Amino acid sequence: MIEIKSLSRNFGEIRAVDDISFTVDKGMITGFLGPNGAGKTTTLRMMVGYLQPSSGSILLDGMSIFEQPMVASAKIGYLPEHNPLYEEMYVVEALKYMADLRKMSKAGYTARKAYVVAKCGLQDVQYQKIGTLSKGYRQRVGLAQAILHDPEILILDEPTSGLDPNQIIEIRELIRSLGKEKTVILSSHILQEVQATCDRVLIINKGKIIVDDGIAQLDNYLAEYYLLHLELEGENIDLSEFVDYYPEVSVIEEEHEGDIYKLKLKVSAGIEVKHDLARFIAENGWVILSLYTERKSLEEIFHKLTKEAGSIELAAYAQTLSVPDQEPMEAPAVLPVEDNAEDIETDSEAREEEAR
Amino acid sequence: MKTILTIARKEFELALRSVTSYIVFVLFLVISGVFFATTVFKVGLAEMRGVYGFMHLLFVFFVPAITMGSIAKERGSGTMELLSTMPIRLSHVIWGKILAAFLQIKTLIAFSVIYFVIMLVLGEGMDIGAAIMGFVGLCFAGAAYAAIGVFASSLPSSQVLAFIIAFAISALFYVMRFLLVLLPLPLVRVFQYFSFEHHLANFMKGVLDIKDLLFFVAVIVIFALLAEFNLQSKNMMQER
Repeated sequence: MIEIKSLSRNFGEIRAVDDISFTVDKGMITGFLGPNGAGKTTTLRMMVGYLQPSSGSILLDGMSIFEQPMVASAKIGYLPEHNPLYEEMYVVEALKYMADLRKMSKAGYTARKAYVVAKCGLQDVQYQKIGTLSKGYRQRVGLAQAILHDPEILILDEPTSGLDPNQIIEIRELIRSLGKEKTVILSSHILQEVQATCDRVLIINKGKIIVDDGIAQLDNYLAEYYLLHLELEGENIDLSEFVDYYPEVSVIEEEHEGDIYKLKLKVSAGIEVKHDLARFIAENGWVILSLYTERKSLEEIFHKLTKEAGSIELAAYAQTLSVPDQEPMEAPAVLPVEDNAEDIETDSEAREEEAR
Repeated sequence: MKTILTIARKEFELALRSVTSYIVFVLFLVISGVFFATTVFKVGLAEMRGVYGFMHLLFVFFVPAITMGSIAKERGSGTMELLSTMPIRLSHVIWGKILAAFLQIKTLIAFSVIYFVIMLVLGEGMDIGAAIMGFVGLCFAGAAYAAIGVFASSLPSSQVLAFIIAFAISALFYVMRFLLVLLPLPLVRVFQYFSFEHHLANFMKGVLDIKDLLFFVAVIVIFALLAEFNLQSKNMMQER
């Protein structure tokens, strides 16, 4: 269990982490999400005791990492941001070194090493030098090192960066299985990753936590609607009767080629209409060729949230300039928030491409 | 203690694997060998003092080369972050590094046993006690230079800078003897205690004085503490 109380950290003039508080329970995977420079790494570094906080406290299972570093840090497994490793060492040798530094027993090390090597998929490279490994394998070695001593608390800074899609799935599964018994906190700026792995999400922007909730809730209360894509076959298909019955549903796109109709329905969040819709279509003797739901991705939610934060500042900015309310909307390029939002978009797009 | 040994062993093993340390070894032995050959075969003195004195001079250049990477490299590559989140103390890391550097230096000067053997075979009436004590003294001086080097390595995150800083501090201790001439007499008494040469001289004569021993131990401990303090304050005030 990790308890963080009003934690702050300044770098000179810059306030990287600004008065954040949260608790992470055991048996839960928490995703720490935010754009570049939001304060994710700074927070994690303070949690592992590498950085001293300017103010606030961090308790790991009730212990302060700064007052009892030897006991507290033994409980932590940590994968740092750029995954620094000893390039000149062989994989098994590096693992042995870590085990020795953590004072693991010989038998304990042998058992854990076999487990970790198998779990992280290191069988083929365990007798290679770390410097010769690809980025994906290096990442796995970093992860292996972090879980080697079976830590109670696992802190992972961007654990899947540089991995190919198959490896990402494997590592996510590994993290999920670890998350059942341990306290896991992972940072990422990829929303899909957090969506796929975590039970809970903390969104941090400019050193402040702007969202703290379960993954499912977040999706629900932030998305106002979702889309239903329909492909139907039949004559003179008309859904107006159905749409009239459900005020929460509206047709936003409709096109057809002969008997094949393609429709897009907009449905308010929290309403489930698929069963009724399918029944309605069947009763009219039409055939469903395809039907799928498009929910707003976390990406959009995130974008919206950071923009909202930006628009508040925009209003304040407008007031200081004493110009009419509509005006400042033309000036976003000057403001860092907008720049940030763009960064996130391009960044995550690049990530997605990389993942593909 | 176990952690110190773990770190020292890893450092030493990695050093033995790298080409750089062999280059350093070969250069050191070639240069000191040439010097040994001239003193023994040209001058005809059956003593180790000359070659030990010369090795001491070489330390000023070679020990910084051995230690420059010790902490600077860890900080440069980020592995220091990994180390500082382990359940180990910062002082363990520093002492481990010093021990590893000392082991390398000891390996280096252990080769001078060959000179000793040559001397035994060819020379007559050699002071064996002085030769052994000289070796011990050299070990202590080497450890002191290693501590200076590790401290210097903890200052910047660049190895080249670490080398220059270590060289500057080591050279200061070495050339102290030559600077003494320039000082007024009362100051000479004080400053000669800081000269490595002054303390080594007793060892070379085969005399073990607790004062000299304490001096080297003090230098080692002080620089190890400085390195620890420096790393700790860096961690406290670390800027991005």
